[in-house]
Amino acid sequence: MASTQHVLLSPAELAYLHEALSLTPPIRPDGRAPMQFRPLVAETEILPGTNGSARICFADGTEAIVGVKAEVERTRGYHGDEQEEGGEEEEEGGEERREGEREGQGEWVELTVEIPGYRDDDAGTAFLAAMLSEALLADGRFAKKLWISRRFHWKLFLDILLISPPLSYPLPLLSLTTHLALLSTRLPRLKSEGDEDPFFDDDWAAAPYLYPQGTTTTRPPITLLVMAVGRNIIFDPSKEELAVADVVLAVSVGEAATNSASTKGKGKAIGGMDIDSAAAQPGRSLRLLSVRTVDPPSRVTPPGMPNATNSAYGVAVSVQKQPEARTVEAQAVEGVWKAPRGGAKPAVMAALVQKVLERGGVADEVLDALEAVELG
Amino acid sequence: MPLDTSAYSLALLRVDGRRWNELRRIHAQIRTQAAADGSSYLEMGHTKVMCVVTGPSEPGPRRGTTGGAAAGASKAAAEVAVSVVVAGFSSVDRKKRGRGDKRNLELQSTISNALAASLHTHLFPHSVIQVSLHVLSQDGSLLAALINAATLACVDAGIPMTDYVVACTAGSTSTYAAGDESADPLLDLNHQEEQELPGLTVATLGETDRVAVLVCESRVQVGRLEGMLAVGVDGCKQVREILDRVVREKGKRMVLEGTVVKGEGLEDMDLD
Amino acid sequence: MADRRRVNGPVGATIPPVFEDEEVQTQETQRVTRSRAPNGIRKMYLKTGVTPSASGSAYLEIETSGKDGVSGLKLSCTVHGPRSLPRSSPFSPHIILSTHVKFAPFATKQRRGYLRDPSERDLGTHLEAALRGAIIADRWPKSGVDIIISIIEGDQDRETSGAQGDDTWDMMNALSGCITVASAALADAGIDCVDTVAGGVAALVKDGGETGTARIVIDPISSEHESIEAACCIAYLPTRDEITNLWFKGDMPDHDMGIYSELVQQGIQASKLANRVLVESLGETVK
Repeated sequence: MASTQHVLLSPAELAYLHEALSLTPPIRPDGRAPMQFRPLVAETEILPGTNGSARICFADGTEAIVGVKAEVERTRGYHGDEQEEGGEEEEEGGEERREGEREGQGEWVELTVEIPGYRDDDAGTAFLAAMLSEALLADGRFAKKLWISRRFHWKLFLDILLISPPLSYPLPLLSLTTHLALLSTRLPRLKSEGDEDPFFDDDWAAAPYLYPQGTTTTRPPITLLVMAVGRNIIFDPSKEELAVADVVLAVSVGEAATNSASTKGKGKAIGGMDIDSAAAQPGRSLRLLSVRTVDPPSRVTPPGMPNATNSAYGVAVSVQKQPEARTVEAQAVEGVWKAPRGGAKPAVMAALVQKVLERGGVADEVLDALEAVELG
Repeated sequence: MPLDTSAYSLALLRVDGRRWNELRRIHAQIRTQAAADGSSYLEMGHTKVMCVVTGPSEPGPRRGTTGGAAAGASKAAAEVAVSVVVAGFSSVDRKKRGRGDKRNLELQSTISNALAASLHTHLFPHSVIQVSLHVLSQDGSLLAALINAATLACVDAGIPMTDYVVACTAGSTSTYAAGDESADPLLDLNHQEEQELPGLTVATLGETDRVAVLVCESRVQVGRLEGMLAVGVDGCKQVREILDRVVREKGKRMVLEGTVVKGEGLEDMDLD
Repeated sequence: MADRRRVNGPVGATIPPVFEDEEVQTQETQRVTRSRAPNGIRKMYLKTGVTPSASGSAYLEIETSGKDGVSGLKLSCTVHGPRSLPRSSPFSPHIILSTHVKFAPFATKQRRGYLRDPSERDLGTHLEAALRGAIIADRWPKSGVDIIISIIEGDQDRETSGAQGDDTWDMMNALSGCITVASAALADAGIDCVDTVAGGVAALVKDGGETGTARIVIDPISSEHESIEAACCIAYLPTRDEITNLWFKGDMPDHDMGIYSELVQQGIQASKLANRVLVESLGETVK
């Protein structure tokens, strides 16, 4: 599995790293602040053959490319033409309902993740794909965008390629790349009307964006990886940091559409109030879409052995044979690494999620950074 | 849409406006990825591929269970493991190719054999050179583009090799069925031409005429083959020029930036 | 990947016609609504040691909601191991868990294939995360254990149409059942755990049309509610007060953390209730 890949650190190194990360403030091996993301290079619309594409390179050298392709597909439940003729009356009723009811289905989006060195049916890859598509479909608004008419819809294929070998858990990278690719996705403009066979505008320049530009109300979600060591919360952990994590969460957030729209609208109407309202509510309000625990690789790290029980150290006692050996095993010795056992306190988990949702926090910063990426 | 070959004899121009002996635009970059041992990006027309080379390194635990014969061979020399991933969005219609796809396997083994022959693998016993290739967009000459990208990435990784392995495709102006003996050879086929006309992929070792790979999957009269091969080999020389320039320019820039120290015996290297 | 080991149906398959019968229509109007208290879980039956050939096994059944044609959840879990790893695998200082969750082909409305699909693999990963926190893994170096769960009957209402029932919510119910039954089977196999871990689901549901208010219920059945806004599945260790796995998804009405924390609290509550059954059943086995 991608998150539990082998880390070549000795128990002593793990203990040291754990201690460094539990200090206040934590000292991270790469010198970042706990809330700091790795710098990244991003570009969009790199592949003219796709409806939308993006590429992101993290400073540690991991790189991902996402391509979005759309195809027109018949909506299930409306197969034959005979059926339609027969159900003329029903259709009248359906016509009225249509405007309000643009039902989208999760099946209209197909998301595949490709990680070099892993089989495509690997459990870790399936987990990543499920997590990314879950965030996308969570609010049910995304699938509605793919609606063409009652008989047809767009089927969106999102192919996520990790180009580099997975040096760290690739979830944030893949999520950000997908975000950008979706932002740059355009679908041909529909020329036909109603329920006739769809017919599109040839002019690519006229093709509207899937996520309309300029309005901040709708943007694809992002998934962030956040972990806790002791009482510290650390964002965007590297592979080494994950190896000593107590708990790792993948949190998907989207922008709260209604709230930000209303504050924006007010600000514009009053004119001068714009700055005030912005100052009162710095950053955007975020919506929680999904949370998943990621199995921390720290649980499978090799444990160290305290000197008291180490026969090689000179204390040649056959501790393991004594009945109290098990109690000895459970005690933690300072400076000796032991893989964490059990789970995490509910309060710690809540704190992690709270930190992600914080106004003007990391998620905000990342969304701002992604907004700055020029499309095209 | 079938390719209209009748127009060729009138103006001697191909569908995309090239002459018979012209390559498409080749754009290449090396060291595109900071973390990889070697990496490259190559465009041949609209065919776009990326390559990442890892190694030579110790074979990982997950590769421990290869067959007995292969394991024996890898002891004396490094094993070149190639994986080709064709992105679902690379072709016009989205098509998902699984990893066990037969065409993919064939591409992989062809590239692996070609590289193994020119890399000095005997210098790295008990190790693996992992070459992973990603196809981002395809428009003909896929195998040639993959071989060229892999060569560049191996150069970037600093793996000793006898010479560049450079590849390009060659075809013929009329179909097999036309039986046209006077058909002219063509250089560097695009997707449309590849579908309709007989073609072959040839890779040579640098500027020499030594052929490293020759793949011909279409029916063609024997008489035309020689001409096609000659044009292909000639194209390879042009490709080598381009790739060599890319490598030299990158090297020059790295010396100027101070990333690397100028090697010995390179006093005459032109650093303008 | 095509399944080549079995005889499959012809490739050019057509979609069978679905006939609408009157019964469905009447059912539609009399939608079964939740009769349990919002903080009560359904009755469940848990028995360990059902498969003699496995080192540990358990069977879990959750009662139906009392309506005809609605099946409860039926799960069977077998644990094989701890056993030594194959010679070729590298050294591991811990026990290596491998979890397989498979729906029986007939478990759900839509037939499942014999090969595991991505959603089943995803469940397996969740289950692995939930159990790995509970097992004291360093007591068995160089060994592995296989946990195999077959979902014999999924928790699905056969009479709701495909479009209506959103089976992504059912996955959470299935996962919570998987966690509980796997925990029982692990205990039956005598594998040391820090505590028994049980799964619980809480959901934010909306009833009563557009004007209806959202409320939080535990152990939800998707067909009993008009819509499920958000849900979370939790694997919880009661004596340590720790969560080993948390899976939340949904559309929160606002950015307020209050509802989220309430959902998690209710999920823990559901898990505690399931844990009581689990502990009682294990106690019976000891007697």
